[in-house]
Amino acid sequence: MSLAMYCRLKRTKFVLDVELSLTPGRVLAITGENGSGKSSTIDMIAGLLACTTGKILLNGEVLDDSTTNQFVQPEMRGVSTVFQGGGLFSHMTVEKNILFGRGAEFKNTPKFNAAVEQFNLVGLLTRKPSTLSGGQRQRVALARAFLSPSEILLLDEPTSSLDAVSRDEVRRAMKGFFETYKGVVILVSHDAVEVAQIATDVTNIKVTRGETTTAKLTA
Amino acid sequence: MKRSLSSPRGLSLFALPAMAMVLVPVIAVVLRTNWSSFLTSISTDTSRTALMLSLRTSLLTTSLALIFGTPLAWVLAKREFKLKSLLRALCILPMVLPPVVGGVALLYAFGRRGVVGAALNDWFGWQLAFTQTAAVLAQFFVAAPFFILVMEAAFGQVDQRVVGTARTFGAGPWRTFVTVTLGLVRPSLVAALVLTWARALGEFGATIAFAGNTEGRTQTVPLAVFSQLESGDDSALALSMLMMIVSLGVLVALRGKWISALRRGF
Repeated sequence: MSLAMYCRLKRTKFVLDVELSLTPGRVLAITGENGSGKSSTIDMIAGLLACTTGKILLNGEVLDDSTTNQFVQPEMRGVSTVFQGGGLFSHMTVEKNILFGRGAEFKNTPKFNAAVEQFNLVGLLTRKPSTLSGGQRQRVALARAFLSPSEILLLDEPTSSLDAVSRDEVRRAMKGFFETYKGVVILVSHDAVEVAQIATDVTNIKVTRGETTTAKLTA
Repeated sequence: MKRSLSSPRGLSLFALPAMAMVLVPVIAVVLRTNWSSFLTSISTDTSRTALMLSLRTSLLTTSLALIFGTPLAWVLAKREFKLKSLLRALCILPMVLPPVVGGVALLYAFGRRGVVGAALNDWFGWQLAFTQTAAVLAQFFVAAPFFILVMEAAFGQVDQRVVGTARTFGAGPWRTFVTVTLGLVRPSLVAALVLTWARALGEFGATIAFAGNTEGRTQTVPLAVFSQLESGDDSALALSMLMMIVSLGVLVALRGKWISALRRGF
C-alpha cells in the first residue's frame, strides 16, 4: 500500500507544489508557517480540494488526475480525518459522532467497545460536543477516525487549540492509535515537540520568494 | 453615591416615548376587549371561517417556503455566480416593498390578463387571482424573504471543514446535506419557519390586492378584522386580541433567536 502525490495548487496569491510518496506504518509530519499550504495539502489528499495540475495515486489507483480529469469524491477515497477543533457534528451526540462512518448497527461491536475504552469515552457517549472540553472533543474525533475503515489518516493540527494538559492526553491517545493503524498517517503540526514525539518522518513546507511553497518527501 | 460607572444622564428618559408608542396601543386593545364575550366573538361563523382559512393558508405558505426557500437560501449562501447580489436583492425586495404593491405585481403576473396568468388561463383554463391559491401566493411573496434571509445566514455560518469531515467519513453529498448541514442549521431553521409563519398569518396588503376579500374564500383573519372594523363589529377587537396573543407567543417561542440569526447574516 502506498500513497503518491505530485501536485500543484495554484491560487491568486500563491503556488503550492507537493511531492509525496509514503508507505504504511510511517507517520509523516508536515510542518511549516501559517499559510504555507499545510491544510491545503491535507484537503487535496482528502478530496476536499482538487489539484490544479498533477495527480494523486493510492496503491497505483488514481484519486485525482488533472490530465485525465479523474477525481474520486472524498467519500470514496478511504480517508479519515481529524481536524483542529475536532470537526465534530455539534447537533449529534458523541455516540452518533463516532458511529458516523459506520452506522448505528456497529454499536457494541468489540471494536466499538475497544474504541470507547481506548479513547476514554466511557460516560461521554450521550453528551453533545458543546458540553465537552477541548481534549475530550479531540479524543472523540480520534475515536471516530479509529472506527472508520480507512487507508489514509489525516490529522490537521489536532492539538493546537488545546492547553498543555489536554495536549499530552490527546498525544498519548494518538500514539496508541498509530501503533495499531495499518495505513498511512499524515500529521500537520507546527509543534516541534509533538513532531519529535510522534512522527517518523518530517517534511517542512517552505515559503520561497513569498509566493511559491514546496514540499517534498519520500518515506 | 452609587459605586458604578456613570452613563449619560437622562438618556433613559428619552426612551420612554418610543416605549409608550408601542405599549399604549397594545394595552388599549387588552383594556377594550370584552373578555366576557371574547370566545363568542372569535367563534362567530365569519371569524371561525377566517381563522381556519388563515391557519390553512399560512401553514401551506410556510411549507412552500421550507421546500423551495431552503434550496434558494443554500444557493445564495454557497454558490458563486454572476449577478448573485442582484438576485439576493430581488429575493428580499418584498421585505421593504409595500405589500399592496406586491399584490399589484402578483396581479400583473398571475392575474387573468397577467404575463403568466394569461397563458395559464389560455392553456389550462386556470385562474389564480381571487382564489385561495392567490392568498397563498400573496403570503409566500411577502413572507418567504424572511425565511430565505435567515437561512442564507445560517448556511453561510456552517463550517465547511465540518461538512468536509462528513464527506471523508463516507457520506455522499446528499447524505451530508440532510444529516449534517441541515442538522447544524436546525435552530435557525425553526426560527425561520416560525417567523415566516407569523408573517404569513399577518399578511394583508398583498392578499387584498391579489386574492380579494371574499368571506369564506379569501378572507383571512387580518382581512376579517378590517371588514369587521368598517362595519363597526365588536369581533374586530376580539380577533385583533387573538392575533396579538399569537404574535406574542411567537416572540416568546423564539426568544430573540431570529434577531441573532439575522445579525449573523449582515
